[in-house]
Amino acid sequence: MSVNRKALFRYWKVSQQSRVVATLQYLVFMASLVWVVVHGANQMGYQWQWYNIPEYFYKVFEGEIYPGRLIKGLGVTVDLTLWCVGFTLLTGLITALLRMSDSISGRWLSTIYLELVRNTPLLVQLYLFYFVFSPIFGIDRFWTGVICLTFYEGSFVAEIIRSGVQSVERGQWEAGDSIGLTRWDNYRYIVIPQAIPIMLPPLTGQIINLIKHSSIVSVIAVADLTTEGRNIIADTFMSFEIWFTVAGIYLVLTLSLSMFVTWLENRTRVRT
Amino acid sequence: MTDTDKRVIRLDNVSKSFGNFQALKGVSFDINHGQKVVVCGPSGSGKSTMIRCINRLEEHDGGSITVNGVELTDDMANILAVRREVGMVFQQFNLFPHLTVLDNLTLGPMRSRGADKQQAQGTAMEYLERVRIPDQANKYPSQLSGGQQQRVAIARSLCMKPKIMLFDEPTSALDPEMIKEVLDVMIELAEEGMTMIVVTHEMGFAKTVADTMIFMDHGEIVEVAPPSEFFSSPRSERTQLFLSQILSH
Amino acid sequence: MIRKNKKPRLNWIDFAVISSVVGFLIFVVLRVDSVLNYSWNWNHVFPFVMYLDEDTGQWVSNLLLEGLIITLRLAVYGIIISAVIGVVMGLCRISSNLFLRMVARSYVELVRNTPPLVFIFIFYFFLSTQLMPLLGIDELARSDSPAVKTMIWILCGDPILFSNFVSGLICLSIFEGAYITEIVRAGIQSIPRGQWEAGRAIGLSRIDVMRYVILPQAVSKIAPPLANQFITLIKDSSIVSLISIQELTFMAVEVGVSTSRIFEVWILVAVMYFVICYSCVLFFNWLERRAARSKR
Repeated sequence: MSVNRKALFRYWKVSQQSRVVATLQYLVFMASLVWVVVHGANQMGYQWQWYNIPEYFYKVFEGEIYPGRLIKGLGVTVDLTLWCVGFTLLTGLITALLRMSDSISGRWLSTIYLELVRNTPLLVQLYLFYFVFSPIFGIDRFWTGVICLTFYEGSFVAEIIRSGVQSVERGQWEAGDSIGLTRWDNYRYIVIPQAIPIMLPPLTGQIINLIKHSSIVSVIAVADLTTEGRNIIADTFMSFEIWFTVAGIYLVLTLSLSMFVTWLENRTRVRT
Repeated sequence: MTDTDKRVIRLDNVSKSFGNFQALKGVSFDINHGQKVVVCGPSGSGKSTMIRCINRLEEHDGGSITVNGVELTDDMANILAVRREVGMVFQQFNLFPHLTVLDNLTLGPMRSRGADKQQAQGTAMEYLERVRIPDQANKYPSQLSGGQQQRVAIARSLCMKPKIMLFDEPTSALDPEMIKEVLDVMIELAEEGMTMIVVTHEMGFAKTVADTMIFMDHGEIVEVAPPSEFFSSPRSERTQLFLSQILSH
Repeated sequence: MIRKNKKPRLNWIDFAVISSVVGFLIFVVLRVDSVLNYSWNWNHVFPFVMYLDEDTGQWVSNLLLEGLIITLRLAVYGIIISAVIGVVMGLCRISSNLFLRMVARSYVELVRNTPPLVFIFIFYFFLSTQLMPLLGIDELARSDSPAVKTMIWILCGDPILFSNFVSGLICLSIFEGAYITEIVRAGIQSIPRGQWEAGRAIGLSRIDVMRYVILPQAVSKIAPPLANQFITLIKDSSIVSLISIQELTFMAVEVGVSTSRIFEVWILVAVMYFVICYSCVLFFNWLERRAARSKR
């Protein structure tokens, strides 16, 4: 027994050591990357003005705190994302149902929609919505952005829902049939409850993508986080500081969501 | 004893844990040249772990394992040296699906023994004949039956000209009608004097081939005996219980 | 899968679908014709793809076709460079060396969690001001040697735009490389453990197991998602129009502004992208079916 414990300790020590070494290497590597960027910027006479950044988060005016431009932009991004999440789920659900339905035209319509979205760039879709559809329907920028992103992400959500439903084994359907459930009852009591845990992680992943893709609306000047960043840079020329800050804000948003996904995945894996 | 030079494998107080689960709790035994050992025991008793430790597919974390006079340490050169001497046959065959049967057989000799292609193919065909499927040489593993695949796997190990062969439940994944063709090959191998360690539940095979039976339970060696003694008058209660269960069907 | 044996047929859903689609189309046509008073003029736009030169009697490519060629160049070179990045980083991702794992992981997470737009802006700014002079791309483009000039012409187009093209290409490749890293990692990890063990058991070294056993099998798992990534790359390349790389989307904006035939231009460009991407999809599907058949 004692031998074993000693060996275990040795193993632990070795792995601990190599972990420390690796972390050190990593820190040195990252530090030198940062140094390269900073050094390069200094080389071309870049003026770092990190001290100016906080005012774009919040301003204090006559004892009251007001949100700065970046926070306002973040608000628009979140607003946009939330609207999109709702519409996207709806679009995805309808498309998935049409695709799985018996209806010929329903299948056709959903297939055409999916292929159109998958085979054109998001940016071109945005231009198409902005230059073509928004004058036709008389929609403003913000809603053009919402509709375009919904149109784009809805196709992914449709596929997530479809594969979630189809991953429920055929035997489950047959068992439902054999106890005399109707088609809708089968969906409701047998299939959906089993499909939802499967669909949740990829759906959350899709929301992360939505946040990232929402930055593209800055192209049509919706005042989201990226647009605010670009405007501030146009005013102050603090390219590095602002872009790093903006990227950092996005990173915090998406990383916290993706940690949530990992947690969800682990939880569902343990349960099954 | 004068047997020291005949000893090819020595396990001394070997232990191994996976997290909190202790798979091996201080296992010791010696195996001599030409000896045929059958290891049996209930599932989870540590049989597979033990033979996987012998060619270092698992890393033991206590005690020592010596194969052919080489002690298994972290030293990669040592491990490769040992693996060249020790052949292993898996329960799931583990043939390489993207290579033909012949290529499966020649890969090892060409890469780790530095054999040239013709030489390797010659040896490969020789062993394919020994396992009685030379006509399948240019097929892919997925085109063979389970029994044929396992015979290819045995031939693949033999191509490395190992001094010791390890078998990890070689017939457990096979349909009953294919078990015999694999066991026949193994019996032949035993008759030629190969040193073998076989983890198996095939007690008929054990009776014909083994000169030593090892019974394991809960990560320990419970009983070591020649088969005649092992089957007729097992000493430990656990062995008796196990045998009564396994021989009753 | 649900009711496979049931034949699709017309029912109330079709009625709802068809009537809403028709209603939508009628509404659009009415709005365009009567409210916006838009007069379509396709003849004005097609010459921007290619036109017949009256003097020489030859077809000459114009802005949109040239843009499309740049897009395809970006996609083809991009997939090669990003595949190299992806394989190297993918191997790092599963390496036994913790340091390499950490570096690869940071790269992947950093790229995947920043919006493509923000990534391209940051990187372009950094690249064009620092890396380009370092690599001496500008000197190469300005070089007088006719051999270098023709090389650049053939591979990348106009030498004046060469450094611009290269920085756009590098941005895109580094961006897509992160996704390919994950494809490679997943492909390698999908090979069962038993294959590693069998390789080790016949005495192969770790590198040899990788080279002769794991990678050949992983390739067939990696190929389909990689093909998919190529199509994604064609689409994502439209983003570099925002950093003034003169590919299809950039040209479309130019033509749209200069002709004010905005509806026609954007519909045409969307169709061009669709045709390119969809034919790639069909081609890759055909390849995959053929590969599946030849695999017995």
